[in-house]
Amino acid sequence: MPKRGGGRIKNWKTDNDHFEHDDRTHNPRRVSFKPGTNKGKNKFNNWNKNAKLLLDDDVDMGLSGGQGPRKPFRGRGGRLGSPAPRPRHAGKKFTPGMLPWYQIVIPYGAKHEKDVILRALLNFTSPDIFIPHYYRINGNAAIFYVDDVKSAENLFNADKKIVMPDGFKMVVIVKNAVPNVNVDANMKEKMKLVMAKRYNPATKALDMTKFHSDSDLSEIFCGLFRPVIMLTAIDIIAENIPDIEALNLNDNKLHGLDHLKVMATKLKNLKILYLGDNRIPVVGSLESLRNLPLVELMLKGNPLRNRFNDHDDYVSTVRKKFPKLVRLDGVDLPPAIGFDVAEDVALPAQQQSFLIEPAAQDFVRQFLAQYFAVYDSESRQSLMDAYHENATMSMTTSYLTHDIRNSPSTKLHQYLPNSRNILRITDRESRRRYLRTGKLQVVAFICDLPKTTHDLMGFAVDVLIYTPTMIMVSMNGVFKETASQGSRSFHRTFMIVPNNGGGFCIVNDMLFITNTTKEQEEKMFQSGVPAAAPTPVAATTSAPAPAPAPAPAASEALHSEHHRMLLNALGQQTGMNDYWSMNCLQETGWDLQKAMFIFNKLQSEGKIPHEAFVK
Amino acid sequence: MASEVSLKNVDNACQTAEEFTKLYYKQLDNHRHLISKMYLDTGLLVWNGNGITGNDKIMKFLMDLPGSTHVLKTLDAQPIAESLVANKLTFLIQACGDVTYQNDNTRKHFQQTFLIVAVDSKWKIVSECFRLQVPHNS
Repeated sequence: MPKRGGGRIKNWKTDNDHFEHDDRTHNPRRVSFKPGTNKGKNKFNNWNKNAKLLLDDDVDMGLSGGQGPRKPFRGRGGRLGSPAPRPRHAGKKFTPGMLPWYQIVIPYGAKHEKDVILRALLNFTSPDIFIPHYYRINGNAAIFYVDDVKSAENLFNADKKIVMPDGFKMVVIVKNAVPNVNVDANMKEKMKLVMAKRYNPATKALDMTKFHSDSDLSEIFCGLFRPVIMLTAIDIIAENIPDIEALNLNDNKLHGLDHLKVMATKLKNLKILYLGDNRIPVVGSLESLRNLPLVELMLKGNPLRNRFNDHDDYVSTVRKKFPKLVRLDGVDLPPAIGFDVAEDVALPAQQQSFLIEPAAQDFVRQFLAQYFAVYDSESRQSLMDAYHENATMSMTTSYLTHDIRNSPSTKLHQYLPNSRNILRITDRESRRRYLRTGKLQVVAFICDLPKTTHDLMGFAVDVLIYTPTMIMVSMNGVFKETASQGSRSFHRTFMIVPNNGGGFCIVNDMLFITNTTKEQEEKMFQSGVPAAAPTPVAATTSAPAPAPAPAPAASEALHSEHHRMLLNALGQQTGMNDYWSMNCLQETGWDLQKAMFIFNKLQSEGKIPHEAFVK
Repeated sequence: MASEVSLKNVDNACQTAEEFTKLYYKQLDNHRHLISKMYLDTGLLVWNGNGITGNDKIMKFLMDLPGSTHVLKTLDAQPIAESLVANKLTFLIQACGDVTYQNDNTRKHFQQTFLIVAVDSKWKIVSECFRLQVPHNS
């Protein structure tokens, strides 16, 4: 050993035992290709837990057809390409597969009659018998399927044991594989006939026990454990016997149940479900059935039951998923003890409208029809006549809670900046400012809101006060915005009082706007064509000028020559049309200076709509 | 233009609305048996189009509803011109939000309007309109 550096090497050698990686140099078995598979023995045990593989049942799991007959089935994941030592071939050994079906291939089987081959095999396996399914010739080979492990093993052992009449030994290849099938109209029709035969209309019960082995389905493979076939069966049920109450799916090799989720929507009356003697691995697999209103469930003979040491534990776990269950695995369950929390109290049915006075109906209908005819028209400025001199109006808006829609048509940005939500607007000045006061401000504000079409027939109208001096109307309904085509829901309250001219006008207007719910959208504008709306609407839309209430008409107000002069003066100075000029003057008691002041103020705040300047 | 008095009324309406709704929904959700005191003897409740008159009947009606949890999202208030209501202080209040009833535990959107009046220094509900946000087409 060289002197230089020798000390280090020495140290390294002495400390050797403490180094973990030392194991590697002495233990060549450390070579591994898959995480966690270095314990070779357990590898196959893990298979059965792999539910995903089973769902993928269209894949031929066996060795491909060209393989020599000597190779025993080893299934997917067999380490054919692995450099690891092959399992010893100390005599052929049958390994059960995970799929419930086995394909039996007899090379050169085409030389013999079906009978000859089957009889030879049955003689060999005797006293055990097997049931061959879907026997067919493919090229030179004869192919059929068996659906149990015992038969597959017996046939596996028959390989090269039987001398056929022509002197050759019969080769028998056993693969773990599921018969391939395409569901076509023909197959669906066949399934339908078999299901009809098995349905009992008196009890609304369909017995699909061991469905694939039905004698009427002998030429086609119809294993319900294959999702495509099960879903076809559910479709057939939904189309023909949607009110089915009991379904027996015992003994169908069912494993994954995820696709059965559709049963909850398609078979709403299903109360009894038998799933006994299948391969359901865990209780969690039943999750997809949770929305079925099951009162009886059969789960006997499934692996999921072995996972519970305690039977009560099993029962309560299943019951948690199906709270209405009264019978499980053929045994009546003790009644569940719940809590008395008045959970069955239903809300009173809603009424379309409430009228404190029957006489209110005609008045309110007419008033609203006229109001919304103008409101929904191109120009809302003639609503000026519908508001009291000192009217107040405010609007609040908010999005629906947990509404994830975020399209241009659900944006409330045209309302939100003006929303007077006093939960958010807390300072006094803003609260005052967001309350529009005086009919000029009110109508100017309304003119700025997006153009709309209200669903008048879909209004819920409640008349809460109806006296000669005051009317209080609340309404709920929906409208569409003309520009965005977005639909909105609103709640609005009018306080209406008589005006001097014998008509009526709004003194308080409170509006809430939000988005429509899906249910509202589905029903919008459904209760009749627009023509069905009250006649005043049509009359008013054609001539929007005569607004809701016979407010002081223009002609009346112009009696005085003095007023006309003022009107012209204001019009000239402001550029507003007669209509707006007059309202402005009326509001200020025909004081030109005040009117000018208000005009300048509103104009600088941008509150006077364009319409005011259209002559 | 609005006078100083009416502007003060606007402020007052907002403050009252905040206090009123806080109390009202607390009583409705947690102490429903006490809610009749919030209505005038002749008060009116219109609940989804069903009209109930008189505070005793209103309480009976409300007691029969499943337990509830109201969450307010918007609130608004306006004073009613005193000349219209015999100089009694009267406010119009609009409250909107979500309600969950114990019978099905699904959130529903609601909109509610109150007309309240000051009587002997107590606020009382004159009339109230409650609507769930549902389609109304028949």
